[in-house]
Amino acid sequence: MTKLAQWLWALALLGSAWAALTVGALGLELPSPCREVLWPLPAYLLVAAGCYALGTVGYRVATFHDCEDAARELQSQIQEARADLGRRGLRF
Amino acid sequence: MATGTDQVVGLGLLAVSLIIFTYYTVWVILLPFIDSEHIIHKYFLPRAYAVAIPLAVGLLLLLFVGLFITYVMLKNRQVTKKAQ
Repeated sequence: MTKLAQWLWALALLGSAWAALTVGALGLELPSPCREVLWPLPAYLLVAAGCYALGTVGYRVATFHDCEDAARELQSQIQEARADLGRRGLRF
Repeated sequence: MATGTDQVVGLGLLAVSLIIFTYYTVWVILLPFIDSEHIIHKYFLPRAYAVAIPLAVGLLLLLFVGLFITYVMLKNRQVTKKAQ
């Protein structure tokens, strides 16, 4: 089974479980606070996943290991190459 | 470690995501278990907005993505026309 099929299966199973519980099709008398938490659950999971993604990106951007010397060296090499190619007639 | 604006932007993103996550978690998960007389309910909108606002934001995002794709495709077509 492909990854897509697996994901869709899992989504379908969880989705139907959530729908069955929210609509009350299983005949379970869930306490009121539990029902209140249950029905926005898909939206909550999506928002939580989005926050996790955003936070991870932000954290990795903030803790990325810069190499300032290498960056400066690379920039000077780029200038050199541009000058050299410009001399040989290549237009940017 | 990253420097300058990178650090600021990264930590800013992290802070924003934590704030949104905490507020939303309290709103959706914790509030139903807190007595409706408690003062904390004053700081949260009615429950229906907990689904409506993310839905609206998601649709807006889709709109922007669609507009961006349209813009890029139109610009591409003009460039091809000019090349011809």
